[in-house]
Formats: sequence, C-alpha cells, structure tokens
Amino acid sequence: MANYVDRFNAADRILHWIVAISFFLLMLSGLGLFAHTFFGYFDLFGGPQQGIMVHKWAGVVFFVSSVLLFLRHVGETCRFDADDRQWIAKLGGYLSRKHQDIPQGKFNAGQKLYSIFAILAALVLGVTGLVIWDPTAYSRELTQFSLMLHGLFFTLSMVGMVVHVYLATIGNPGTLDGMLYGQVRKRWAKKHASKWYRKVAKD
Amino acid sequence: MKRKSFLIDTTLCTACRSCQVACKQWNKLDAEATVNRGSYENPPDLTPQLYNQIQFIEQDKGDDLQWLFINRRCMHCADAGCVKVCPSAGALYHTKEGMVAFNQDKCIECHYCVNGCPFDVPRYDARQKVTKCHACSDRVQNGLAPACVKACPTQALKFGDRDQLIAEARAAGKKLYGENDLGGLGVLYVLDDQPGTYRLPKNPAIPASIFFWKDVVKPLGILGFWGAVGVAALHYVTVGPQKFDESDDPQHKGGE
Repeated sequence: MANYVDRFNAADRILHWIVAISFFLLMLSGLGLFAHTFFGYFDLFGGPQQGIMVHKWAGVVFFVSSVLLFLRHVGETCRFDADDRQWIAKLGGYLSRKHQDIPQGKFNAGQKLYSIFAILAALVLGVTGLVIWDPTAYSRELTQFSLMLHGLFFTLSMVGMVVHVYLATIGNPGTLDGMLYGQVRKRWAKKHASKWYRKVAKD
Repeated sequence: MKRKSFLIDTTLCTACRSCQVACKQWNKLDAEATVNRGSYENPPDLTPQLYNQIQFIEQDKGDDLQWLFINRRCMHCADAGCVKVCPSAGALYHTKEGMVAFNQDKCIECHYCVNGCPFDVPRYDARQKVTKCHACSDRVQNGLAPACVKACPTQALKFGDRDQLIAEARAAGKKLYGENDLGGLGVLYVLDDQPGTYRLPKNPAIPASIFFWKDVVKPLGILGFWGAVGVAALHYVTVGPQKFDESDDPQHKGGE
C-alpha cells in the first residue's frame, strides 16, 4: 500500500456517514413540511405522521453526530493561516484549469469554512427544531420565526450539500476514497494537501 | 360566488347563548362539564367541542357592573394564517363562499395552525385532528344560514353577502371591525367599545416571518438547490475536475 496514506480513521468515517444518512433522512422527511409541492415525499415514510416522527428523531441523531464530528476536527478546521487566505483569495483555484500550487493542511480553507457553516447550520436547525418540536409550546412570534429560520437554514444546507457532494466526488477525483475506506492516494495528498502530506510522510 | 360573511352586532346580543347550543346541536358536539368561576360566561374558552362562544366582558364601573357580550369564533380571514402555515393542502381551506373550513382526513396533526392563527382559534380534538367553526359549510352550500345565525333571536348574528352586510351597516352609521384586516375578515363586528376591551387585537396581523418563509425562502430554496446543481454541472464541463496524474511519478515507475 505504498501508494496510499491514511487520512480518516474508522471513527471519523462512521461518524461522517451517520451525519450524512441522518441528513438525507431529515431532508426527505422534512420536505413535506417545507412546501406543498413536496408533500408526496411523506409517502416514503408511510404517511405524514410517521414522516414527522422520523424527522424529529433523525434530527436528534443529526444534531449530536454533527457536534461530535465538528469537535473531532475542530483543532484543524478553525485555524486559518496565510496559505488559507491565499486559497480563499484564489477560490481554491477552482475557476481555472491551470494547476495552482496553494499549500494546504489536512483540510483546505474551503473545507474549513464548510465545517464551520455545517456546525452553525446544525446549531440553528437544532435549536429552532426544539422550539417547533411542539409547535404550540411557545409564542406565536417565536414559533413562526423558528419555522422560518429552520426553512432558511435547510435551504442553505441544501446548497452546501450539493457543493460538498460535488467537490468530494467527481469534482476532485480520489477524495471520496478517504471517507470510504480511510486512505487516499499519495499523489492526491501531494496535490490537495501538501503541508499535511509532508507532515504524515515524515512520521 | 360572492364572498359571504358573518356580521355580529354586539350591541344586540343578550348573551342567551342560543348560538352556542345550536352549533353544538348541528355539529354534533358533546356537552362538557365545567366549573363555576363566578361568571355566567361558560365554557370559559373555545374547545374542540365548542366552535363559538359568548364571552362576557365584565367591567367594574364604581357601584355599577357593565356587561359586554361578544360572540367569538373563527374569523374566516381572507389571508388566513392557519391556511398559510398548514403543510397539507386542503386540510384547512377556503370554501367558495370565502369561509375557512377544514378536512380532518387531510390533517397531519402537525399543530402549525394553532400558532399560525392571530385569534387563537384552532383546537385539536381527541383524535388529534384540527377542529373549529367552519361556518356550517354544509348548511351554507345548501342555501341555509349557519346554525348559530338561525338560532339567534335578536339578529345580533347575521350571515350573508359580505358587500351587502357592509353597505347596510354603513347606511345605519355603524363602525365595523375587520373590514380590511387580513384581506378582510369573514366575521365583521359592530362593537360598543374599543377592540381591546373585547380582547380583540386592534390590528390583527400574521407574523412577517410566515410570509418570508412561504413566499421568499421556499422559492429561493428550490432555486438555490437546482442552481447549485447547475453550477456544479457547468463547472464540471467547463473547468473540469481537479485531477491528479498518477502516471508521471518517477518514484513509482515500474509498478508497485
């Protein structure tokens, strides 16, 4: 396996997929509450009442696993250096075919920003979700405001999810390997995370 | 179909509560045991078994006690908060006469309407389904007046074409509550005092966040999702993926 380098351990991967599965369960079970157009998605769960039940408990799983996932990587994702600022200024080199050498750590600046957005969204969705768990528990204004914020951060999360899935799969071939079985190609690491690669290659 | 409305002239109400009883009879609603609270007002609030209620506004005026009576119920708003927040199309809906009715078979028990209503009207029954005054939609469709209106001995309750009711009240020099609020209420009141005295909101409104969610966030969300998918696809076919070349590594020439 000299061609590969370890990137995510089993706990990282399992936690990530718990977040991902609960995210898609939440999306499918919540769409029917978001707009009349999507009411039919409740059929996937056997009916609206069952869909709402799945949504509530998947929400608890998503919230807890999102917090745990964030905490596992917070040491790397919340620290930005000059290279990260350069990455942001050049938008990660994604707007050009020409290879741009921007040295990055284990996570590039875009991944760091996404992890911060993801935890922020999870917190907002979690707190507003608790408020509307029983939609008659709090005042009219707070309930309606929470419903609106819940919908707003859901739509932001959808955009984030599409970008994340694209960049982690066909947008950057070889990236998904790290989340599937934990190892990435060395040449992938040199290209995408040279600072991190130099560090782990030394060990 | 012309929009219909109730016109409730509180100055004519004697608090006989024929409306409460007639409603229970027509809609087959059970009687409920209540406790004497030192007021003739009974029951104290709308319940799943009480679609309309005479409220007693008891005012202490020195030696005197002033009584005001008001028949409270669903206000049948044109811009109805309950209809706006309801996720299940048709569970709460406007009849062709413009009244807000409900279909329990479509109710998904989410309770959104309870807090969506500016007048605190929708109730959930023992089966956890929405229930409230539906303006006797079954009677009205067959050309009859709602049961409460039929039973009212003083014509404090009237039901008819909204424009005509408003014109008649204006001609009689009466000031109306609810003419323009929330797109025009389906229950118009002639009041003997300020709306606040009757525990009515002076300017009933739906929180702006409902409109922001349903009219802004929802379309932008759908647009955002497909927009992101479109941008990703466009990026893939123009700039293309960030490939790493495995074959040009001299260290690994000759297989591994």
